[in-house]
Amino acid sequence: MEILVQTLVSGVLIGGIYALIGIGMTLIMGVMKIINLAHGQLMMVAMYITFVLFEYFGLDPYFSLLVSMPALFLLGIFLQKYLLNPLLKVDSILPENQVLMTVGIGMVLTEIIRFIFRSDYRSVKTAYSATALYIGPISLNFPMVVAFGIALLLTAALFFFLLKTDLGKSVRATAQNADAAMIMGINAHWITVLTYGLGSGLVAAAGTLLLPIYYLFPDIGGPFTLKAFVITMLGGMGSTIGAILGGVVLGVAESLGATYISMALKDAVGLVIFLLVLIFLPGGLKTLTKV
Amino acid sequence: MRINRWVLLGIVLFFLAFPVLVPSDYYRHIFIIALMWVLIGSSWNLLAGFTGQVSFGHAIFFGTGAYTAGLCVTKLGISAWWGILLGGPVSTLVGLFIGWVCFRLRGPYFALATIAVGEIFRLVAIDWRSFTEGMEGILIIQTFRSKLPYYYLGVALAALCMFAIHRVVYSKWGYYFVAIREDQDAAESMGISAFRYKSLSLMISSFFTGLAGAFYMNYMAFIDPHVVFNLHDISIMAILVGIIGGVGTIWGPPVGAFIMVFLQETFRSSFFGLFPRWVSESHVLAFGLLVIFVIRYLANGVIGDWPKIRRLWTREKAYS
Amino acid sequence: MKRIATVCLALCMAAALSAGPTLAQDSIKVGIILPLTGGQAAFGEIEKNSFELALEEINAGGGVNGKRLYFIFEDDTGKPEVARSAAEKLITKDKVVMLGGGYGSSETFAIAGVAQQNEMPFLVNTGSADKITEQNWNYVFRLNPAVSEYPSALESFLTEVVKPKTAAILFEDSNFGSGGSKTFQETCNRLGIKVLLNEGYSKGGVDFKPLLVKVKQANPDLVYMISYIMDASLLMSQSRELRLSPKVFVGGAAGFTLPEFPKNAGKASEMVYSATLWYQTLPYPGAMAYYDKYVKKFNKDTEYHGAEAYAAAFVIADALKRTKSLTPKDVRDSLAATDMMTVFGPVKFISYDKKTNQNKLPTYLVQWIDGKLELVWPRNVATKPFVFPIDWEKTWK
Repeated sequence: MEILVQTLVSGVLIGGIYALIGIGMTLIMGVMKIINLAHGQLMMVAMYITFVLFEYFGLDPYFSLLVSMPALFLLGIFLQKYLLNPLLKVDSILPENQVLMTVGIGMVLTEIIRFIFRSDYRSVKTAYSATALYIGPISLNFPMVVAFGIALLLTAALFFFLLKTDLGKSVRATAQNADAAMIMGINAHWITVLTYGLGSGLVAAAGTLLLPIYYLFPDIGGPFTLKAFVITMLGGMGSTIGAILGGVVLGVAESLGATYISMALKDAVGLVIFLLVLIFLPGGLKTLTKV
Repeated sequence: MRINRWVLLGIVLFFLAFPVLVPSDYYRHIFIIALMWVLIGSSWNLLAGFTGQVSFGHAIFFGTGAYTAGLCVTKLGISAWWGILLGGPVSTLVGLFIGWVCFRLRGPYFALATIAVGEIFRLVAIDWRSFTEGMEGILIIQTFRSKLPYYYLGVALAALCMFAIHRVVYSKWGYYFVAIREDQDAAESMGISAFRYKSLSLMISSFFTGLAGAFYMNYMAFIDPHVVFNLHDISIMAILVGIIGGVGTIWGPPVGAFIMVFLQETFRSSFFGLFPRWVSESHVLAFGLLVIFVIRYLANGVIGDWPKIRRLWTREKAYS
Repeated sequence: MKRIATVCLALCMAAALSAGPTLAQDSIKVGIILPLTGGQAAFGEIEKNSFELALEEINAGGGVNGKRLYFIFEDDTGKPEVARSAAEKLITKDKVVMLGGGYGSSETFAIAGVAQQNEMPFLVNTGSADKITEQNWNYVFRLNPAVSEYPSALESFLTEVVKPKTAAILFEDSNFGSGGSKTFQETCNRLGIKVLLNEGYSKGGVDFKPLLVKVKQANPDLVYMISYIMDASLLMSQSRELRLSPKVFVGGAAGFTLPEFPKNAGKASEMVYSATLWYQTLPYPGAMAYYDKYVKKFNKDTEYHGAEAYAAAFVIADALKRTKSLTPKDVRDSLAATDMMTVFGPVKFISYDKKTNQNKLPTYLVQWIDGKLELVWPRNVATKPFVFPIDWEKTWK
């Protein structure tokens, strides 16, 4: 019994981090319908920013959030404006060019970081990195609990933003139908730029919160990008609540898979779920609710 | 771009004579790897460039072909050369299965699904140690000490592949593929069974990629799941070969294959020793920049946007 | 402008096809293949630095019979086909007299295959998969022990001191971990230790709790882990969080012996044992001197990989000094007759079990005590007495 409870708890906690990674992706995919294969790399850049702030300025990661999120927001805007948006006008046989551009961006980001920081593993060890809260025999890792809480806060904030503010509604309008939105006077061009920036800022939060628990190296991005997709599909593109649910479902499924099937196949569990969702429930969990 | 008969002959003669002209095992090796990528790139291009189904998981077929050849040795006790015959068909079967699962998905969703399946294959290959030897991999002894047999086999396979794809593209099937690429629903309404033709395209594509995998097993003599089911080094490389060369063209992928392989080696060896070490350390960076540049300005690849490149050249000349 | 570009391009290509480092006539070239970029670049760098440190000393001492020795380094980027390409370039283009290096097992295989086929002697100094020297390849020699032999010191420690009845084995599922776990399972069977859990994981995981909670439930006396540095740190720190307390935690070298381990795992690294191939306090001549020299020159720590490379350089120089001529066959024969002492230990290539041309070395057991790595077993070379039994609650407070 203890195994089951501990597994579920671990799964939910890591699900919070996953959800944060997924929220940015779901926004980008929902609005721009592009697969951002550089998502993990953006997170990686944010983690390096956090690392530098901690190592050289002694700034605690939770405060670094205030730096890494805006920094990535700006980076995202830059990338979208100068590299991705122009592709919409280029006439080519395959519409997948935007995706491949993100592959290129991801590669360049990784290599630039590698050039500066080398491939060595870096880590940020704070006083609370290894502390755990105990409920009976079940241990909960403190930074992960905090990350989960922040993930919920950010989701709520984003939800509010999209539903209640004008700008948020413009984003949703552009997501539903870019041409119609333009007719209604929305500058769709700027909305896409803003959205990519927003998505980047969110994944920066995920990275900053992940750093105390994990570690850092230039190639860290790839697997997380894949997880972000799984969550986006699971939850439904563009759905913030879906991202939280998707993250938690993925986290729990991976944990259960690790315990009861095999730790080595843990990632495969997520991928199989991904395929099943793609095939049988293409709209994601979102279609099961009305949000 | 229809190619002049004499140019074609020149190319063929060059490839046949190359190992004699340049008796260096080092360059022969690079050519062999490039020829292998001609196979992989062209087959990917058939599915993606001509039929519009962008696969991010071609490593599935490459790995299947490679393991088919490898398993011939470890499980059946026969020579890995049987893999050359079996690799293609086995990969085709896998392709059929993948198609059945994934073809109900369109565009980017299909791409994502292929990534997922590719990763699943890699993880299973690592974990199913009793079948695949896991990460210890499969090691055989190369049959020939000289590179020549492998080189000429590579040339033959590449030529066969290009010939086959050429015939397919300029046949009725080819038109159906392009129709599906341009507008699947319109094609369906014209009576073209999207599922059947996408599957056919995938079968041919996976056949040749599997063949390349079996060739790799025989030539490199060592494979493991990380090498042959690799997302970045195989699947994404296949896409880059196609994109840089030119999707939707026959000659694009071969050109792309040679550009990519040579570029990689040029950088890795710091321009063959001319430049200092840090140049070799930035070869992936150079790749990434190249990708960004090509997609931004030459979206149809070197061959596809050849008119654009020529215009650039001639316009300059007009002023000099 | 375009004309200039075309001319430049043509010149580059011409230079490329004819280029190669121009060295003095009176010099001997040896090719060393290491992962200088890619995931293992950190270790590739330690080895390259060590090779160069040794090279300086060799040439300062008169080189090889008066001729200057040169190491040509090639980057295998951690991929076997690139390793193969690098090996072929060294053999056919650079015309080296022998090959050295070999870090990752997959890459080492590829190089060994090329070396054997081209009848070029190859001295492996790190690649540890057993199979590398089990192919009956007479041109391939290995300085370091095979991964199956890593825990040999552990064996005597277990039978004499700990006497565990049950064990759990956790391993990262690449070549290094899979091979090591299989042989440790066999060792346990031989020693009469019941293996309750033998499970692999994909390296780079964030959360090992599902795996560790299973270990906790099984409650083994011994937990043996084969991991690279970051996984090792997370495994231990999460074990501490779960309050998992076997009689001993033992690591299978690699991640567990690096200074980054206590840095990342903090308190959780304390009292953890590990097998190791080398330690600077071992009574091999020059071991401590090598360590000090390296730290002084590069301002970083070194460990057994560096020692392997440093020793290999001297073995190469020694073989080349004794060889009748510089033809591959004579160099091979000279290498086969090696019988010398290095900072890594004695080097003599013998055949045993299924292996050929393998150097047989003892391994050691270390333990993290008060944040420092101490050699604890065998007793006669220990720098500090081992700590057992361990009060985990006190250690982890």
